[in-house]
Amino acid sequence: MRSGSPDASSNADAQPILELRELEKRYGFIQALKPASLAFRRGEIHAIVGENGAGKSTLIKLLTGVIRRTGGKIVWNGAEVELATPNEAIAHGINAVHQEVVLCRHLSVAANIFLGDEAVKFGLLQKREMTRAAQKILDDMGFNLPADILLGDLTIGQQQLVATARASLRGTKFIIFDEPTAYLTRSEAAQLFALIRRLKDEGVTIVYISHRMEEVFELADRVSVLRDGTLVGTRNISDTNDAELVALMINRSLEQIYHKEAIPLGKVLLETRNLSGKGFNNVSLTVRAGEIVGLYGLIGAGRSEFALSVFGRNPKTAGDIVWQGNVVDMRNERTAIDLGIALAPESRRDQGLNLNLPIGLNINLPVYDQINSGIVVNAGEEKRRADQQIKDLGIKTPSRNSLASSMSGGNQQKIVIGKWLNHGAELFIFDEPTVGVDVGTKAEIYRLFAKLLKNGAGIILISSYLPEVYELADTLHVFRDGHLVGSQAYREKTHEDILAEAIGV
Amino acid sequence: MTTEVTPTSVAPKRNFNFLFALTLVGLLLLLCIVLSIATPSFATGNNISNLLRQGSMIAILAIGQTFVIITAGIDLSVGAVVGFSTVVVAGLLQAGVPIPIAILITLAVGLAIGCFHAFGIVKMGLPPFIITLATLTSLRGIGLLITNGSTINITNEAFTLFSRESFLGVPNLFWMVVIVAIPAFVFLHLSKWGRYLYAVGSNPEAARLSGVSVPKMIFIAYGLSSMFAAFVGVMLAARLGVGNATQGDGWELQAIASTVIGGTSLFGAIGSVHGPLIGAFILATIANGANLLNVNSFWQRIITGVLIIVIVFFDQLRRRNR
Repeated sequence: MRSGSPDASSNADAQPILELRELEKRYGFIQALKPASLAFRRGEIHAIVGENGAGKSTLIKLLTGVIRRTGGKIVWNGAEVELATPNEAIAHGINAVHQEVVLCRHLSVAANIFLGDEAVKFGLLQKREMTRAAQKILDDMGFNLPADILLGDLTIGQQQLVATARASLRGTKFIIFDEPTAYLTRSEAAQLFALIRRLKDEGVTIVYISHRMEEVFELADRVSVLRDGTLVGTRNISDTNDAELVALMINRSLEQIYHKEAIPLGKVLLETRNLSGKGFNNVSLTVRAGEIVGLYGLIGAGRSEFALSVFGRNPKTAGDIVWQGNVVDMRNERTAIDLGIALAPESRRDQGLNLNLPIGLNINLPVYDQINSGIVVNAGEEKRRADQQIKDLGIKTPSRNSLASSMSGGNQQKIVIGKWLNHGAELFIFDEPTVGVDVGTKAEIYRLFAKLLKNGAGIILISSYLPEVYELADTLHVFRDGHLVGSQAYREKTHEDILAEAIGV
Repeated sequence: MTTEVTPTSVAPKRNFNFLFALTLVGLLLLLCIVLSIATPSFATGNNISNLLRQGSMIAILAIGQTFVIITAGIDLSVGAVVGFSTVVVAGLLQAGVPIPIAILITLAVGLAIGCFHAFGIVKMGLPPFIITLATLTSLRGIGLLITNGSTINITNEAFTLFSRESFLGVPNLFWMVVIVAIPAFVFLHLSKWGRYLYAVGSNPEAARLSGVSVPKMIFIAYGLSSMFAAFVGVMLAARLGVGNATQGDGWELQAIASTVIGGTSLFGAIGSVHGPLIGAFILATIANGANLLNVNSFWQRIITGVLIIVIVFFDQLRRRNR
């Protein structure tokens, strides 16, 4: 191991653990990564930021052997390597923790940690020993997790921690984290950060990919910025700031991201009276035309469940839903959609998109009732509507026939939004619309909110990211344990007060 | 905004599907050419008519099966429904019911069986494999109980004659494929119902949150599959002139094989009407050719198995390269 100097600058002369020389990846005529040269130092935390489609995923895939480079060299510990297969990368000690957990939900936590590396005696699995060893590893890492329960019984955040524990075993010298905190609660994120710092102290090199600037500044020693497949710069974290990084990423200033206009409020669109349902109790609130109503709270506080009941997905157990003055029976999703309610759900992957179907079909799914000529779908209208949304929202795709799964996170979110713009609605419910979405797309989405409001729509914005709801919502409600525990007008309370309400201290 | 969109650009997905369909047609033609050279009796009008009759029943089953598989389900009962339907239609005809009414009742019975499957899946939460497996075994039992294990002979000449006659030189049974396939194509590829079917197979939750009634689509898919099987039962009864609950043994597997050879993904959301049709006739041609060449019928089973592996393997390669 290294003699361990926390000062990043003294490592500067040391031989880099991994060096990219003019690394390049082309798909046909498209350059996903233009020739990039970058040296990762031993034991540093190196953040990589950039918009969706800037080339971050391409870089990860190149380093983990998932795809092969089309030009340049990769030098590992001073020797040139191929990195042609994932196994080769793992053999060198290069591991990745992905945004979506790729483990076996039906196996125990211990079995997942030792998957492919099981303890065996006389051809039999040493289950008890593995559980004990796994428990020790988890305890050492400071994760308060039992090793003997099924992975599927954990929250997504906890599963992410298990994935991290797994990746940091087996002589790993280089770990890539791809948006690891996207689904983590604050305390889980804190546990993860502690582990990352410990790995760094052990001499492991960390590549940390995130959209959250505050995490980058909290963790990283250096940061590299990608834009449109080009490596536009690397900075020591102490020599840079938010504004410079954002400027490098998008050539746009921070103030322009949260876009809020003074829009007069109109009639009351939705009112819930003491509404209760699965996961939430006794929630009363109103949404007016031209208004953004923010719902803030920790994950699992009942905000998404509230939205699902308003949208007719889950039945209510008590209370009333009042739509434009009339009490309505929200029997199913179709009822809500026909009234003029749209929901962009929390998980794009599980709820928002039909991933292995074309973009066009996704966009038109809610409107197929309206675009028929006789018994067949009007193909011209179908194409026109899909292309319209692709154009209006700037969805970066070669064709409406491309599969939704081939799109980046930001573009996938645009497809979900495009689906509801295509259908039209008076009340839009956006549940975590900017998770895994880059700054540029975020700004586009916020601008779109203003446009919807000006057209007389109302918005319910659900977010776990406080600055977002704080800066955008006209009325902000805080949820905790399924209850509405506090409300405020625009910028009425401080961040700290709102956070305290959400956590309950 | 900034991105230039070219609506005219080539659709990669359809293009590939089209190529795959061409490959299958090519394989079918190749089989025919080889068999024509290998045996003089293959390319005779009689034999081709026979081949079309053999293939048409599995082809219709395969279309219904495709609807179900696109929803990421499976229908194991179709063979049993065929056998049961021969009993129903034969019983009705022997009881003096007019032909059109007997056929309509049989189709209604098929539809009811399919709705029962959908009910089990949607309301009772049973996996499609289980509920249709249960019907597979119990339906044969019911058919055998009704007939007391015997065969009902159909004495209605007009009914049995239909299966042996031709129209424009093409066997009537093959015309039945056309009659089923054209509306099926419109349903799956041109109507909103087809779009919904793919959406349900791809991600039922996303489909639901987009306003698609998932239960309704499940009822439609399983209802159509069983109704098509009942229709095949009528065709088979006409061809054999009997009703017997043990008929159509193992046809569900042939139908699934045709569907898979035709490019349908068992994981749902991928499939077409034309693919399974060609798949069914490839299997029929192999069976027919093997008979003509006096190949041991046991070999036919082996060849079919190998063919499934090879074709699906290439189909997977094609998808991975996408």
